Amino acid sequence: MNSDGTSSTSGATGSGDSATPRRNSKRPKYSKFTQQELPACKPILTPGWVISSFLLVCIVFIPIGLASLFASRSVVEIVDRYETACIPGGFRKDKVKYIQSDSNKTCRRNLTVNKDMKPPIYVYYQLDNFYQNHRRYVKSRSDPQLKSKSKENETNDCKPEATINGKAILPCGLIAWSLFNDTYSFSRSSQKLQVNKKDISWKSDREHKFGKDVFPKNFQNRTVKGGATLNASIPLSQQEDLIVWMRTAALPTFRKLYGKIEVELKKGDVIQVTLENNYNTYSFNGKKKLVLSTTKWIGGKNDFIGIAYLTVGGLCFLLAMSFTIIYYVKPRRLGDPTYLSWNRNPGGGANN
Amino acid sequence: MAGWKYSRLGNTEILGGLTTSRTIQLGRVTPQVPGNRTVYCNDREANALAKFKGNSISTTKYNLLTFLPKGLYEQFRRLANCYFLMISMLSFTPVSPVSPYTNVAPLSIVLIVSLIKEAFEDWKRLQNDKSINNSAIDMLQGQNWESVPWKKLQVGDIVRVKQDEFFPADLLFLASTNPDGVCYIETANLDGETNLKIRKALEKTWDFLTPDIASEFDGEVQCEQPNNSLYTFSGNLIIQKQTLPLSPNQILLRGCSLKNTEYIVASVIFTGPETKVMMNSMNVPSKRSTLEKKLDKVIIALFCLLFCMCLIGAIGSAVFVDDDYFYLNLKTKRQGELDQFNPNNRLKVAALGMFTLITLYSPIIPISLYVTVETIKFIQSSNFINNDLHMYHSATNTPALARTSNLNEELGQIEYIFSDKTGTLTRNLMEFFKCSIGGEMYGAGVTEIEMGGARRNGIILEEGEKSSNTIFDKGFNFDDARLMRGAWRNEPNSDACKEFFRCLAICHTVLPEGEETPERIRYQAASPDEAALVSAAKNFGFFFYRRTPTKIFVRESHVEKMGQIEDVSYEILNVLEFNSTRKRQSVICRYPDGRLVLYCKGADTVIYERLADGGDDLKKRTRDHMEQYGAAGLRTLCLAYRDLNQEMYDSWNEKFIQAKSSLKDREKKLDEVGELIEKNLILMGCSAIEDKLQEGVPTCIETLSRAGIKIWVLTGDKMETAINIAYACNLINNDMRQFVISSETDEIRETESKGDQVEIARCIRDTVKNELHKFHDEAKQYLQAATGPKLSLLIDGKCLMYALDPSLRSMLLNLSMNCSAVVCCRVSPLQKAQVTRLVRKGAQRITLSIGDGANDVGMIQAAHVGVGISGMEGMQAVMASDFAIAQFRFLTDLLLVHGRWSYLRVCKVVSYFFYKNLTFTLTQFYYTFQTGFSGQRFYDDWFQTLYNVIFTSLPVIFVGLLDKDVSAFLSKKYPELYKEGIKNTFFRFRVLGIVAFFSVYQSVIVYRFVISSSTESVTSSGKMFGQWDVSTMAFTCVVITVNLRLLMTCNRITKWHQLSVGGSLLALFLFIFVYSFFFTYKGIFYTIFLLMSTFYFYLTLFLVPIAALLGEFLYQGVQRWFFPYDYQIVQEIHRHEPDNAGSALLEVGTKLTPEEARSFAFAQLPGQSSRHTGFAFDSPNYESFFASQHGVSAPHKAWDVIRRASMKHRKAPKHR
Repeated sequence: MNSDGTSSTSGATGSGDSATPRRNSKRPKYSKFTQQELPACKPILTPGWVISSFLLVCIVFIPIGLASLFASRSVVEIVDRYETACIPGGFRKDKVKYIQSDSNKTCRRNLTVNKDMKPPIYVYYQLDNFYQNHRRYVKSRSDPQLKSKSKENETNDCKPEATINGKAILPCGLIAWSLFNDTYSFSRSSQKLQVNKKDISWKSDREHKFGKDVFPKNFQNRTVKGGATLNASIPLSQQEDLIVWMRTAALPTFRKLYGKIEVELKKGDVIQVTLENNYNTYSFNGKKKLVLSTTKWIGGKNDFIGIAYLTVGGLCFLLAMSFTIIYYVKPRRLGDPTYLSWNRNPGGGANN
Repeated sequence: MAGWKYSRLGNTEILGGLTTSRTIQLGRVTPQVPGNRTVYCNDREANALAKFKGNSISTTKYNLLTFLPKGLYEQFRRLANCYFLMISMLSFTPVSPVSPYTNVAPLSIVLIVSLIKEAFEDWKRLQNDKSINNSAIDMLQGQNWESVPWKKLQVGDIVRVKQDEFFPADLLFLASTNPDGVCYIETANLDGETNLKIRKALEKTWDFLTPDIASEFDGEVQCEQPNNSLYTFSGNLIIQKQTLPLSPNQILLRGCSLKNTEYIVASVIFTGPETKVMMNSMNVPSKRSTLEKKLDKVIIALFCLLFCMCLIGAIGSAVFVDDDYFYLNLKTKRQGELDQFNPNNRLKVAALGMFTLITLYSPIIPISLYVTVETIKFIQSSNFINNDLHMYHSATNTPALARTSNLNEELGQIEYIFSDKTGTLTRNLMEFFKCSIGGEMYGAGVTEIEMGGARRNGIILEEGEKSSNTIFDKGFNFDDARLMRGAWRNEPNSDACKEFFRCLAICHTVLPEGEETPERIRYQAASPDEAALVSAAKNFGFFFYRRTPTKIFVRESHVEKMGQIEDVSYEILNVLEFNSTRKRQSVICRYPDGRLVLYCKGADTVIYERLADGGDDLKKRTRDHMEQYGAAGLRTLCLAYRDLNQEMYDSWNEKFIQAKSSLKDREKKLDEVGELIEKNLILMGCSAIEDKLQEGVPTCIETLSRAGIKIWVLTGDKMETAINIAYACNLINNDMRQFVISSETDEIRETESKGDQVEIARCIRDTVKNELHKFHDEAKQYLQAATGPKLSLLIDGKCLMYALDPSLRSMLLNLSMNCSAVVCCRVSPLQKAQVTRLVRKGAQRITLSIGDGANDVGMIQAAHVGVGISGMEGMQAVMASDFAIAQFRFLTDLLLVHGRWSYLRVCKVVSYFFYKNLTFTLTQFYYTFQTGFSGQRFYDDWFQTLYNVIFTSLPVIFVGLLDKDVSAFLSKKYPELYKEGIKNTFFRFRVLGIVAFFSVYQSVIVYRFVISSSTESVTSSGKMFGQWDVSTMAFTCVVITVNLRLLMTCNRITKWHQLSVGGSLLALFLFIFVYSFFFTYKGIFYTIFLLMSTFYFYLTLFLVPIAALLGEFLYQGVQRWFFPYDYQIVQEIHRHEPDNAGSALLEVGTKLTPEEARSFAFAQLPGQSSRHTGFAFDSPNYESFFASQHGVSAPHKAWDVIRRASMKHRKAPKHR
């Protein structure tokens, strides 16, 4: 077997250039790259490595998981689904007709606080079956128009909500047109709870995407209104409801921040919600929910990350254990030549 | 005689079979254009009517106008490019969810890179053409030579070519400054041969040497139309109302150069594109590797997957659209837009949705795959194979050469090697070793084969110390005190010896070169056999030192007086050339004393047929000796002579001249005339030449067979010689069951002697059929018995011809597939190619052919991979090959190291591409379900574009270049590892299935985890993420996951891996930072900064890649521990050894073995360039003398002239 090595090198042995220097030698120059001998680490996935990697993952993941889960669990969340409840009994059969009528749509709901809620308490509305991520919807906006006054006529992307009577709509497009217009006001034992609607949008949006000198124009002037109207005297950069709405959601079920309540709520408190049920989710059977939630460092109530970490960590522990067991039940010597296929099959072997 | 006729017939039968069965196509000889060309020399007006092409050439593919259309057309012949063109066009329409540049940018990059490469290459060609077209040549204008550029030349012009100049066009040779109207040319540009060839002008035109005489030349040439056959030419020169036949002997081809001649004068007949060399310079269709063809299937599978995904999406889209989603305002038609989501026309919704989704999912086909793989393979071949020190042969100063980079990974899957014998397995360093003169055997050496045979029988033969008087000379390795140093005079048969040596000195076509001393002379021979014989004669005291076209000068040591020498000149009257049908060569010479003798040497069979009656004892003893020599692996030649008388010679010579000047069937007629005089020969003896095995061949063959490669030897040699070589190089041994199918049986011989062609054919066919049936059944039994002996098949060319018949072909294939060694002997070049095709097409196995000579070109082209042996001989084999190596043993490195690694790497690269694009596209696919099937893109346009181009491209290139499972040394120590390639272990659909599975798994993890974890608020400030935040998150996770997975699949991690993976991730973040900072109007604006302000981001970024790769990690752990691949075990065995363990030997140990020293010393001598292709010294014959079999018709030779000048000389004094 060793003769392989010698024969393979003898070609080079003859090339002792020192013995017979030749000017036109075509002998390739030696370099680690061309001879493919670059230094490298050669990881071998031995059971030791496998088991210790699993254990390492386990050790790191389980604490993270526990911390995340704990944080998520300590978030207090009140969810109230109201889209059916806020339709008066007589209209339940044709909700769309009700929502499109001019009748008074005020609706009162009572929410009971199960756990102390520390301020700030965030108020969200949650819509369902609402495809803010539909291709037609997503692109129906004009960012230049929102940003700078001089570009208010750039409404090309906004069709079909681009212009009215030849004048540009501002903000144009389907997204703005369908702005959510349910409103909520809260009171506790007939004492009004202030809803702070400042700073509910991302700062970057307010400062860079929506202009300070851009005011709504020709908005919702059609007979069929898609949603909320805007106060034409407030610049877009302060229309935070619009800014939140226009940061389109990734999924058809989404929450959007409505405001903040900056009072502590005690366990057992009953909150009266007066809401204007204006927004039409009935035609596409969408749900509407009102959500009150506190937050922790991890954000709102979402166990997913915690559970995922714990699952992966636990799985790794199980795998590490089972690997160890199998390793002892069915051991294999590292680099055992009998495992070579030509040694396993009869009639092949030169090694054993 | 009968045998000769038979050979002819056999020849046509093969060719007939060829055309009907269409199993093989050799060469690309263009069909002859009917009609003649008439050239009026020195008369431009007359030629103008014919409108011949000018002499400027253009080898460029494009010009300024055609570059874009033609270059693009070439690019779009690739299916993948076409697909992306279609996608790009789609992305300009409103149905597209992505911006056009998403698809246009990668396509443009790919196209631009390819086009620049094309343009650069073409520009180089253009410069080359320009300099060629403008090189100067002396043309006759009026009565003066005037220097004009080549491109100004026209058909019919008279030109003067000086020494060392190149011929500007195909010329008709008129006159030379050399006496006797000869000139010497070098054809290195044509066929790579550097030995000089002789051309001889027609005597009639010898005088047109000076401008004033040349201007009076008004010959008219009628010749064939331009064609690409380099070695044929037929035509007539009409001068002074005389018609003179022209042969290739008078034609000087463009591309050759003039040597050893002051200048020549010639007339142009073919110009520019019509010259033979230009008509030959068609591009050889490039071979594609099997893996690449499999890759096409994968791509097609991906297309199907793409189609299914799109179909699902399209149907979903049609179902989804509904007026009720009022906020989408589906009914209102936007001006200038396709009404894509109109709920009233759902069929249209689905149809347009289909297009939308195809555009969206287009990255599933990896556009950069081909470019990347090509780059990797190019670097592999140009940097690794060409520079491998293990494959550098110092004796000939030849490194390995990859002539194509397409086939690197094919080298890792070779299952069958077809090898030539002479010059490939053996050195083709012919040495005169033994001889038998007058029934006495001379020569004391022992061949390697005999030693090997003795070793097998347990006897160790030591090669005795060479006696001190051994002469050290190239081509001569003979030791016998009875003959050396003039001692032969004291032998009882000294006359026979003298005649024998004289025959060696006279009967050949060797050209002496250099000083006329025994030490300094060099012999230019067409075959090393010839040179060996001539130098043997020299060492016996018959020193051939000069040749003129009419005479051979031999310095003979005096017969009676020791130590005295005399120069004798023999007049050569005729040369009856060697060719494959004749298998012999004769020279008719006249001694100074007037004795007329015909010397003949040739294969035993043909000589014995032509011997005079009597001398049976001598015949028998010589035959015995030849059999012994054959068994020792020596090449034998019979020598015979015949005394002629003048009358008989004269009458024969008339016929000879007639035959020589005939236009039709000249070859055949010459053969027939030869038969008339080559009879009643008197046997002198035989010579034996040793053809040594190349260094390391037995070890190499053993290693290769352990690697699961089956080696077939296809040779023109006799069966005994072939068997012996096969024994010597470990191919067959006595433990094997040998199936021999030979035409040399008594039955066949008997039938042959009757001479009935039909009967002979029937007889051989029946024999072959019966034998095949018998052996086939036997082989079956052995196979069922499980522990049967290894099998080997030996078959000769005649039988092979019938066995290749369609009815028997499958059985032959079946039988030979079960044999571990197959030896085909006495096969023609055509049959070599046929056998290769048989295995390639019939058995669908991957084949490699290796050879060194022109006779191997067919099989080199027919196999998947052709390997040429370079550095020794002519260049035809190398020119036709895909890889050129200097020694057979380098196959170990080429296949087991480079081939195997390339295969592993390409597999890895391809499956990684497949994986990463599938993973990416699947996340996109899942998202479609949550966007109402609207085709909304999940990722930003630029993310999608740069995913393939930047974020995941570089690391995989490094893996494709640097990854290796075990070191080169271990690859050769465990050749069995190679079997993984033969079985295609790493690119099976099962393997791809696993890859696809993990791709699905990982994409689900990435998508699901990112989506699910971001539905609630993600910061303590209660704010929510929009879709672009989620998409950025997901994209980051995907890129990190696929990059880490690449590291997981690496066998070794160098700093380049770390740098490139790190660099890719760095590039990712840099890009996102910059992009999301500056592009206010994009959805992506500021997302990464928002993300990075949350804990969520870090938690997810840590969780997702680990969770995604966990499955694969587990799989790899389990697979390695419980179902390890062989390479993994080998890695484990040698895990503590440094990588370069084997190569440490590379720089040490410069001591040469005596054998090496000897071959090295020869390499240092002034090169005697020669080929073993035939006897006539000037023609690149298609066969070796020993490979002389029916097959390809012997190309025309240019040695002999119609009538020796000397003959004429005596009749009429020369008029010069």
